[in-house]
Amino acid sequence: MAETHSLQDLRQAAVTSKVFVQRDYTSGTICKFQTKFPAELESRMDKQQFEETIQTLNNLYAEAEKLGGRSYLEGCLACLTAYTIFLCMETHYEKVLKKIAKYIQEQNEKIYAPLGLLLTDPIERGLRVVEITIFEDRSIGSR
Amino acid sequence: MPVGLSVDGALGYPSPSRPFRPSRYVPVSAATAFLVGASTLFLCFTCPWLAERFSSSIPLYNVVVFLFTLANFCMATFMDPGIFPRAEEDEDKEDDFRAPLYKTVEVRGIQVRMKWCSTCRFYRPPRCSHCSVCDNCVEEFDHHCPWVNNCIGRRNYRYFFLFLLSLTTHIMNVFGFSLLYILHHTKHLDQVDSGVTMAVMCVSGLFFVPVAGLTGFHIVLVARGRTTNEQVTGKFRGGVNPFTHGCLKNIAHVLCGSQAPRYLGRLRKPHSVEVQPPFLRPPLSEAQLEAKAVDNGIQQSKSSLEIMESQSTDADPPPPPKPEHRYPGMPHTQNEECSLLTEAPPTPSLYKYRPSYSSPGKNHTASTHSSKMSRGNSMTESPSVPVTTGQPSYRSDPSLSSRGGAGCRGGGEGGKAGSGGLGGASTFGGRSYPSFTDTLLQSAAASCSSSLRSAHTAHNALGPLISEGTTSTSYKSLANQTRNGSLSYESLLTHSESPEFESAAHELSPPRPHPPHSLSTAAGAPPISGYTSPFLSAQQREGSLQACPAPLRPSPNRAFLRPTSSPPSRAPPLSPRARSLGSPPPGPAPGHTPLGKSLSYAGGAELQHRPSSSGGGTPMQNSTIKQNVANHNTPSHKPVGGVKKVTGVGGTTYGISV
Repeated sequence: MAETHSLQDLRQAAVTSKVFVQRDYTSGTICKFQTKFPAELESRMDKQQFEETIQTLNNLYAEAEKLGGRSYLEGCLACLTAYTIFLCMETHYEKVLKKIAKYIQEQNEKIYAPLGLLLTDPIERGLRVVEITIFEDRSIGSR
Repeated sequence: MPVGLSVDGALGYPSPSRPFRPSRYVPVSAATAFLVGASTLFLCFTCPWLAERFSSSIPLYNVVVFLFTLANFCMATFMDPGIFPRAEEDEDKEDDFRAPLYKTVEVRGIQVRMKWCSTCRFYRPPRCSHCSVCDNCVEEFDHHCPWVNNCIGRRNYRYFFLFLLSLTTHIMNVFGFSLLYILHHTKHLDQVDSGVTMAVMCVSGLFFVPVAGLTGFHIVLVARGRTTNEQVTGKFRGGVNPFTHGCLKNIAHVLCGSQAPRYLGRLRKPHSVEVQPPFLRPPLSEAQLEAKAVDNGIQQSKSSLEIMESQSTDADPPPPPKPEHRYPGMPHTQNEECSLLTEAPPTPSLYKYRPSYSSPGKNHTASTHSSKMSRGNSMTESPSVPVTTGQPSYRSDPSLSSRGGAGCRGGGEGGKAGSGGLGGASTFGGRSYPSFTDTLLQSAAASCSSSLRSAHTAHNALGPLISEGTTSTSYKSLANQTRNGSLSYESLLTHSESPEFESAAHELSPPRPHPPHSLSTAAGAPPISGYTSPFLSAQQREGSLQACPAPLRPSPNRAFLRPTSSPPSRAPPLSPRARSLGSPPPGPAPGHTPLGKSLSYAGGAELQHRPSSSGGGTPMQNSTIKQNVANHNTPSHKPVGGVKKVTGVGGTTYGISV
């Protein structure tokens, strides 16, 4: 992973550091990330924006894990088909994960890349952290 | 395949390939054989008569139940239970050397501890546990089931539970219908069909009792919202389970929740976004500008520090009430370690060992434990320590850190000052220091001895120094010595070359009393139980102090071990913590200093920042080159009370109180 970044960085800015936004376990084991603004980003981006991004992610994960009729039906169907349905159908969670990936991609393109930051999908880290890569700002001088 | 087989070698390698052990497959093969074999025989020999005599729906019903059982069995066997991929190197850097073994978080009002997993290199989320059979951390780990040869975790618990329910039902069906058959064929028992039916009946009757028992057990677990691991380890025995949502909701969560995603084997899309300067910058507010002026530019670990402070949990039983943030009897600036502790994040002083980073500061803090320890100055001085930056060996000073940590913790934990350290340590009684937020002092004191993570992984190699799960001040560094043999302080001291803590670990041995290993000796010599080990008698410390400068060897390891030498290789993130270190405590007992120093040194940057003052000696310079200058008072402090000043590599000076 680090290698990937560095290879990419040859073409783009160099990675200065990485910030890891940890999980927020105050409500239990549901997937939720801390909205606390990391100090390293203070000079790089707006706090509101960051909080908004994390909050949206949290909402998406809450949607994925929701115990609703949808997940129940999915479970029943799976039981009835001896779980062979998983071979052809995508689970609800996976669908939401795709949505999240798209959202992160969008955020990166529109907001974070211009600021010299990059969000990494937390699923790559086992939903444990949101990794934010800070790129060296050569034009101004890295901090 | 969406089901997500746990595949070695898939993206997000869970673990290196393990040797093939055929014995692992015996229970699962036996279970499969019995299930399939007995059911097939039943369906072939007993069911035809049942269909004839009663109704054809009976065999159909039995087939359905059997297939359902088999499907759940296969899912439980082959599905990834929720394995976490190993954390990558860069993530590890966040929790640098000074990071404690445990982090506590508050889960719905209850303090839960998260333990550092040295294999997987991250703090285990609540309810996560590392399976030694599979060598993976599993989310919501229930247990490792030999009958399915797989871990049962978040993703496949539902299938396992349904397997148990359906198997119980199936056994009851088979037994019942076989009995019915036999009762109707009492005069034809010599027939093949009857013989087979009787055999099937015996097998099913035999398996019924354990399976039904296990099913009942899991029904209770599901209703209570607990995992087998939590139940068996008694995590919530006297307390409240923060993970329960009420009986109905717990059942709904197990049976109706959406299928959790797998973390392994996912295709990682490379970022398609190009990040090129010039970058936009948000306008700086006044406060930010001001802060910038005073900021020394090192911010990195601050957030992680804060995070560590705020969340520390483990799925352990609720920890004892948090000890005071600061060791009560100790003045704030008692010694390097203390000051380091006070300013560093209030985490136990057990630090994780990271080969690429050495943060001696962390370990230093560990040593600040008791008032006795105090003045780590003497400890930190290490004339012969041309600490080589980046020498991995520095980092791996479990004994030092553990020692310091244990000592500190012992003192801190019990809220006792000075001599209380030992006593304090003893109160740990093998409990990991749960509160991350306690001062480093406490952590340092305590961590020294027992909470070394390495203890966990190295099977208490350090012996008295490390007690598994005892003190909170375990160091990640120590824990990271998973594959090492015993961690002996000696090895750390003597090992010059190997950067790997492994070597250090191997070398670590119960401290020997001879002077060159005074530090270690001090830490380990007395018959200390786990966490109390770092507390040396004043005499020992005294002795170690005397011996301290001399035996310092040029080897980086040793240098690292010596409290006074601060390897410049310590990670930069230490600086924020180091920075905050206050002045060393006044006139620490000399005896304690060496221990403290050594510990502090092991701890990493923490200690170094303390300016040496009264007899405290010089604070150990931050091992990190980066952090060094900004944070240390080294140049400015003058040894007092017989403190010998030693200049080490990287411009760090140490004061060793003599």
